[in-house]
Amino acid sequence: MTALLSIRDVSVDLSAGGWFGGTAPLNILAGVTLEIVPGETLGLVGESGSGKTTLARAVLGLQPISGGRVRFDGRDLIQPADFRAIRSRTALMFQDATASLSPRMTVGEAVTEPFAIHGVAVNNHRDKAAELLVEVGLPPEMAARYPHELSGGQARRVGVARALALKPALVIADEPTAGLDVSVQAEILNLMADLKDKHGLSYLIITHNLALVRHVADRIAVLYLGRLVETGPTRAIFADPRHPYTRSLTAAEPKPDPRKRRTDLAIRGEIPSILRRPNGCEFHTRCPLARDICRTQPPALKDLDHGRAARCHFAENTTEGGRHELEY
Amino acid sequence: MSEAVLSVENLSLRYRVPGGTVAALRNVSLAVRQGEVLGIAGESGCGKSTLAAAMIDLMGANAEVTSGEVRLNGRDILALSPAERRRLRGREIAMVFQDPMTAFSPVLTVGAQLVDFQFNLDGVPGREKWVRARDMLARVGLSDPELAMGRFPHELSGGMRQRAAIAAALLMRPAVLIADEPTTALDVTMEAQIVHLLRELQADYRCAIVIVTHHLGVIAELCDRVAVMYAGVVVEEAPVDALYHDPRHPYTRALLACDPARIEAATGRLPAIGGRLPDLSNLPPGCAFAARCGIATDRCRATPPPCVALGPGRSALCHEVTP
Repeated sequence: MTALLSIRDVSVDLSAGGWFGGTAPLNILAGVTLEIVPGETLGLVGESGSGKTTLARAVLGLQPISGGRVRFDGRDLIQPADFRAIRSRTALMFQDATASLSPRMTVGEAVTEPFAIHGVAVNNHRDKAAELLVEVGLPPEMAARYPHELSGGQARRVGVARALALKPALVIADEPTAGLDVSVQAEILNLMADLKDKHGLSYLIITHNLALVRHVADRIAVLYLGRLVETGPTRAIFADPRHPYTRSLTAAEPKPDPRKRRTDLAIRGEIPSILRRPNGCEFHTRCPLARDICRTQPPALKDLDHGRAARCHFAENTTEGGRHELEY
Repeated sequence: MSEAVLSVENLSLRYRVPGGTVAALRNVSLAVRQGEVLGIAGESGCGKSTLAAAMIDLMGANAEVTSGEVRLNGRDILALSPAERRRLRGREIAMVFQDPMTAFSPVLTVGAQLVDFQFNLDGVPGREKWVRARDMLARVGLSDPELAMGRFPHELSGGMRQRAAIAAALLMRPAVLIADEPTTALDVTMEAQIVHLLRELQADYRCAIVIVTHHLGVIAELCDRVAVMYAGVVVEEAPVDALYHDPRHPYTRALLACDPARIEAATGRLPAIGGRLPDLSNLPPGCAFAARCGIATDRCRATPPPCVALGPGRSALCHEVTP
């Protein structure tokens, strides 16, 4: 299948300039390559500062890229006009649903605003708003409410309705359930899954919630310091992570079972500053398997079996011994 | 079993809001003993943060305690004068907040604040307070504590700030540490490190810890006992293993069932509880969970549920559970 979205070797550099002058540009994303085929959900995971949100912004043309190429539906996106042309076919669900809605617009106005922005004629705004609200499981009367009158879950549903207004092909959801309670989180994810089936949507879900991404994503891409360190089918990544960072991330998650308590630390230290990228493999400062080669030689992203890839010198030979070593 | 260090007895608290009152806590009784970690779990609006604030007497100005006591080492702290309470805070009971940025003043260095927090320590020279503060920063895992002492809060990462906040709370060796969502603002890697740190510190200092969080994973990792709250009441209280492996209250069961981390097989659709929290300013006459409960009967909708004892340290607030 041809990819709906394909990004090849995309880099984003920000000028650090300013007061001290002459500083090297900040390399936020370094040569990221990803694809999403129609109907697929890709989960993008990583710690704060790993470049997840920057990648989403780059895909939508909200962040100029300094290298590489973004293609949507077989078309190269280069000029701002190219991104504008596809903007009605892509939609973004923002991390803070309540803050992403204008406090001066009613819910009805907010969900029909995309039509006005893209010059799509709507016969009856009230009917259209009601239709969209019902689709996301909200009563049509809610069209008259203002954002501050909504609960977190309701605001999130309005965000979904707004994203779906123009029947996009790709929805980018930035932490779609951040700040929601578990039961409400389940409702939002189920709604997104229903709408995906109904409209054949593709999702790019950005999150650091691994428990969630395991249930919703078909494939997963793991970012570390703006570099793709592992990608592959969700099931395979969780069953047998090949990059030590992925393994540490899955191990670090507190398990809701007191019989599975961790007695040691899954991962030490913090993500290094992007201003001081470590030499060699950028994960070596925190990696329990790091050897001499890791400190000097940057590993390439290696293709492994079953559509997987990992950026680790030892990705192929993650033997039982290696895994044992990782458990300390 | 040793005496409770901190106990809440029949505490009811309401907030005055325009047009009425909101019943935030109704008849809550809980106790935590020395060296014990108590978890308070529940969703937004269940009253868990109000309960945490009441334990250290830091409720908002519109809060009104309508009945009950909060006893710290036997004394009812709600009956003390503001000056007496102020002396207790930090020294006997301390708190770690969700957002470590707002826990510190942005205009003073971390070191200056850690020295100030020791104002209760009489007759100790400033230089010694500085050393104590630095040592505590080293204890909570800041790699260069001397440097961190001179830093402003915004110059530390989120994880480092939360470590510094924990250092601040433990400086005076309190008997009780209250932590309200201590890891919610952090990445999963930092969360694991803070959980690990709290466990180590608890083993060293043997203080009682109360962890308030909606994250069932954090409670399972850290706590000895758990109280589950819903709509201002404790619906179930149990030792941690029993709660996760044999939950008795229908709400606890529903809550555990919809945690995606507990569902082993990848599934496209997740279970949800359905319905919503009752209006706390106009509660139903019977059980507050009845409208969302799968096994509710007419009795549940009409009469408040009894607290049913289910063995040592176990109880559930439900008409339908049997011992």
